[in-house]
Amino acid sequence: MFTMHPTLLVGPADWDAVRMPKDEFLGRIAAFWRACDPEISAAIVYGDARSHSELAYLTHFTPKLEPAIALIGRTGAPRLLVGGGVNMLAAARPLTWIEDLLPLRDAGATVTRWRTELGSQALALLNGDAMPFGLRQSIATTLGTPTDMTETVAAAMRRKSGREVALMREACATLDAVIAAMRAAQSAARGMTDVVLAGERLAHQRGAQDVRSLFGRDGTLAPFRVPIAMPADPLQVYVAVRHGGYWAEGFAVLSGSAPPAAAKARAVLDEVLDLAKPGTPHRELARHVAAKIGAACRHPVIRDTFGGSIGLGLPQPGCLAETGDGRFAPGETYTVRVGLTDSAGSAMVSAMVAITGSGHDVLWAGGDS
Amino acid sequence: MGLTFDERLTAICARLHDRRIDLILVIHDGAHFIETPNPVMVLSGFKSLGPAICLLDRAGATTLIVAPAWDTGRAQALCPKARVIGTDDVVDGLAAALPKSGKATIGTAGLAVAPFGLAQRIVDLVPDAVAADDIVFDAAARKTHDEIAWAREATRIAELDYQHLLEVARPGMSEDELATEIRWHSKSLGAEDNFVLLCASPHNRAVAPSNGRHVRDGDIILAEITPSYCGQLVQICRTIVVGPAPDLLRRKYALVVEAMNAGIAAAIPGARMADVCGAVNAVLEQQGYGEYCHPPHIRRRGHGLGFASMRPGDVALDNATVLEPGMVFMIHPNQYLPETGYLLCGEPVLVTETRAEPLTHRQAALAELR
Repeated sequence: MFTMHPTLLVGPADWDAVRMPKDEFLGRIAAFWRACDPEISAAIVYGDARSHSELAYLTHFTPKLEPAIALIGRTGAPRLLVGGGVNMLAAARPLTWIEDLLPLRDAGATVTRWRTELGSQALALLNGDAMPFGLRQSIATTLGTPTDMTETVAAAMRRKSGREVALMREACATLDAVIAAMRAAQSAARGMTDVVLAGERLAHQRGAQDVRSLFGRDGTLAPFRVPIAMPADPLQVYVAVRHGGYWAEGFAVLSGSAPPAAAKARAVLDEVLDLAKPGTPHRELARHVAAKIGAACRHPVIRDTFGGSIGLGLPQPGCLAETGDGRFAPGETYTVRVGLTDSAGSAMVSAMVAITGSGHDVLWAGGDS
Repeated sequence: MGLTFDERLTAICARLHDRRIDLILVIHDGAHFIETPNPVMVLSGFKSLGPAICLLDRAGATTLIVAPAWDTGRAQALCPKARVIGTDDVVDGLAAALPKSGKATIGTAGLAVAPFGLAQRIVDLVPDAVAADDIVFDAAARKTHDEIAWAREATRIAELDYQHLLEVARPGMSEDELATEIRWHSKSLGAEDNFVLLCASPHNRAVAPSNGRHVRDGDIILAEITPSYCGQLVQICRTIVVGPAPDLLRRKYALVVEAMNAGIAAAIPGARMADVCGAVNAVLEQQGYGEYCHPPHIRRRGHGLGFASMRPGDVALDNATVLEPGMVFMIHPNQYLPETGYLLCGEPVLVTETRAEPLTHRQAALAELR
């Protein structure tokens, strides 16, 4: 889901060794190497403020300002190259368990020296498509074409550990509180922007790492641009909250009444959630939603993708889609979305679930209460 | 002193003609990083959620390709003169929008900093395109009337944010708490974003992104408060002492303010950005801080402002850009001094017909949290 990306990530992102011990990261790295071709003995992991799920998964580091690159070998201590020069390293240190921090300057030469130290020829690259074009070209010039192993890590990231699910539950609790705060502000007849800001403020007060909102009337969604003093009922909102690195997202219709479109979307959502269980193909859930809504009533925001895997990143298009080729598996966490628009109005609602051995646990039920 | 948006586009079209470029293709990925100028905003004024591409031909016709497709209505409302194409894949949208003859000479802007996965597909689509970033960004060095008005409003918000910071900051709060509070406050005043670079230490080596460190008595809080109003960024740089300020710190801060004022005085139409930097440096060099006027202690004495363009560029000795009325940029000495650590002090200025007008109503002064 696209939201308006901020110029700087300002929320709390320090590494908490109690909540997410170093051993958990070392286990992830060990699993990565087991999945790699034995010839590959070094990995370059790129992350920037917008796209850093893989980097956070392996290092906990969130690049708040400039990009970062982790250099992880099969042997030896990993290194983290942090943008912004040597004076930025102290501020970056609390954000990661990695001890060897260096400035991200002349990345191509730095990576080449590191590869020489390791005596490695074959390299893996993670999240290379997010690298700036010029940087990727410079790496290709000096290092050739590393093997793209992004999907290997993405697959591992879909299955959450107990610690990860615990953090996601906290993110969902904050999401729930945010939606409740927005409902309360709307009940007090506050303007659209004030309603959204009431929720955002609560998210920050609860220690959210990030919060993103979209909102609008008549089934539309838009980012904050300038304040809108006019109240709205119903008001459609989309909120994404990040807590301890993990995202929770939700669509909700805020209203003092019971809009028929919202009730219908909610009924479809409640029905299809039963399909979120181990072994069910993603496309089965998606086709069920599509059939219930009808082709003519699809909401443009949730047109083809009825949710997806969520965690260190927000869902990407194509997971819970009619053409999706995956299946639900235990340990995975999903957001499931239903949107419709018809003569009765427009509405988008959603829920979040964790897939268990036999079904699912609801992480966020939709914020209706 | 500003120009209209149409005048800016006309200037770009004239340069396309001069360079024999039929069409310019500009790209932005929607990650609104402050150091990455946004050429889509220059040509369209549209701040996108996702990747966006804008095409401008020599005749002045604009096509805006935006993702996600559902954001099309917002783009149409904000860019009524542009042909807007909504798509979930901007490269597919581009392929459909490009001239079919295949003979057009195409220039690009924003390609080098676009994500590889996006940029490579565009290169594959238009392999003979030539880089023409300068055409787009040079034309945005002078702000439009709207951008100047937005800069003034952003400055108003920045100053209120700073007042709020002085009211809420106290020992025990974390840097992150302060930064998120200011960002939220800024939004409550109408800014859609705020680049709040805030950190605290008894002896700062630089200004850095906030982390979980808790503010303590004796700390020096550094804050770059940078609201964006309708996409126009403005910044103020401020320094706050937690507790009473020692005399030495007061004297050193006064020196940095003096250096800033020398820079502001030097920023007149016709001067070079390098002259502004030189004026700031001269004050500090005279006091024996020449060593600290260069990296790693300082890289620049200010910078351009606006998502639309970072022109006129850095306030740096190697920037020969000549100042013109309508330019908006930061002058911030932001100096590391061995006795005090890093000190933030900076104002946004608008170059008028005769001088650099600070947009702030209250100039930086060392503040104390009592």
